[in-house]
Amino acid sequence: MFGYVRPPLEGLTEEDSDRFRRAYCGLCHALSRRGTAARWVLNYDFTLLAILLSDGEDVPVTRRCALHPARGRPCLPATDALELAADQSLILAYWQIRDHVDDHRALKRIPFRGASAFLRDAYRNAAAARPEFDLRVQEQLRVLGQLERARCKSLDAPADAFAALLRDAARDVEPLTRRRVLQQIFYHLGRWVYLVDAADDLKRDSVSGNYNPVALRYALSDGRWTEPARRDFTLTLDHSVHNIAAAFELWDFGPWTPLLERIFYAGLFQVGRAVLDGAFHKRRIITPESEVEQ
Amino acid sequence: MKDPYQVLGVPETASDEEVKRAYRELARKYHPDNYQNNPLADLAEEKMKEINAAYEDINRRRDRQSRPQSTYYQSHYDDVSSLQRVRQQIQAGNLTEAEALLNRCPDHNAEWYFLRGVIRYQRGWMDEARNDYQRACQMDPSNTEYRQALHYMNHGPARTYSPYGSFGTDLCCANLCANTCFNPWCVCPFFCCY
Repeated sequence: MFGYVRPPLEGLTEEDSDRFRRAYCGLCHALSRRGTAARWVLNYDFTLLAILLSDGEDVPVTRRCALHPARGRPCLPATDALELAADQSLILAYWQIRDHVDDHRALKRIPFRGASAFLRDAYRNAAAARPEFDLRVQEQLRVLGQLERARCKSLDAPADAFAALLRDAARDVEPLTRRRVLQQIFYHLGRWVYLVDAADDLKRDSVSGNYNPVALRYALSDGRWTEPARRDFTLTLDHSVHNIAAAFELWDFGPWTPLLERIFYAGLFQVGRAVLDGAFHKRRIITPESEVEQ
Repeated sequence: MKDPYQVLGVPETASDEEVKRAYRELARKYHPDNYQNNPLADLAEEKMKEINAAYEDINRRRDRQSRPQSTYYQSHYDDVSSLQRVRQQIQAGNLTEAEALLNRCPDHNAEWYFLRGVIRYQRGWMDEARNDYQRACQMDPSNTEYRQALHYMNHGPARTYSPYGSFGTDLCCANLCANTCFNPWCVCPFFCCY
């Protein structure tokens, strides 16, 4: 489900690009405190979660890790917000994988079983620290599972179940204004992620016969978009992005503002369009260029 | 009160034209049209008041006549109808109560569908909100309020504020940098993409 948020790095200044990287490395260190396996859940979606939950400060510290043992790398220091984001990321990732275990049969579930076993200790540490969030994630995924098994024809109902799960990540944020802003951002980000994921799976699901809310809503039998369906779907995605952007403008995110602006006003559209055009490749490839030297 | 120049994001040395431009940009960003039926509309309204006050203050300081203020914030819900209580609950942000009241109304007329659309929109159920607005317009094609809501659903986001000019999935540049991942641990794509 995750893996659709991508900062449009090519449009960012070097300073903002480095800032994003510091958040990424900071989250990686925060994850590793829950167990070595935990850092495997690291991705851009959770980095965005960490940035939004952080209190806006950006005072980097240099930390060494297995990949950068000599000089280390600048990263965000361990803060409560970063710890919270790390725990929430782990809990969300773990239950997503468990969900896949339940959804697949026989041999196909083996890799997911392996993955969940690999993450279990780290997840337990995170769940022990955030028991309420853990329970609410399980409950929301149960609701989502019921809707999917009932092959719900509504786009909004299953998207709401997933979006509510993400909105919950800002439940304890203070003050109230910031909480309301973040809850709105998280809700619509969750809705957008769920819908984009369903659109991305359209062809695959049409072959496998798996539940796909987009196919059911627009009666797309062969996994291909019709012009009116694509137009309506784009519209519903854009309304969610609009709600994200409108909420984002109501809080001062300090030094993160240009980066977030770029993600919300450009990055989401780029990914959405690439998915609809069939040009999106979720499985990312490491290239030498991707490791930019500091 | 905050420094009005800080509110508008301009230095005190900014020219009148620069102040005006900054004010217009912010007014566009926080304009009620940008927050139609948005659950955070009250926060945007506060921002708008702050910006208006700052702009007025600067103009006063610069010994100018105060400029005419925009006539924002006319209530969408001025008209009285049998579903007025539902409207009041929506305005107060009590969506659960509004929905409960709506469900108790036996007469599913055009207004009923319109109000259900408003509730659904505020909840983030965009697709079904649009269906409800369509239904309301079909039942009462002459109603401007319903038509405006449907028009906003169909064209709204494309006209909203964006620092990059255009706003929309189909209006963006589709250049997606595919290999921008700098996850040092991402030797196995499995965990990035569960």
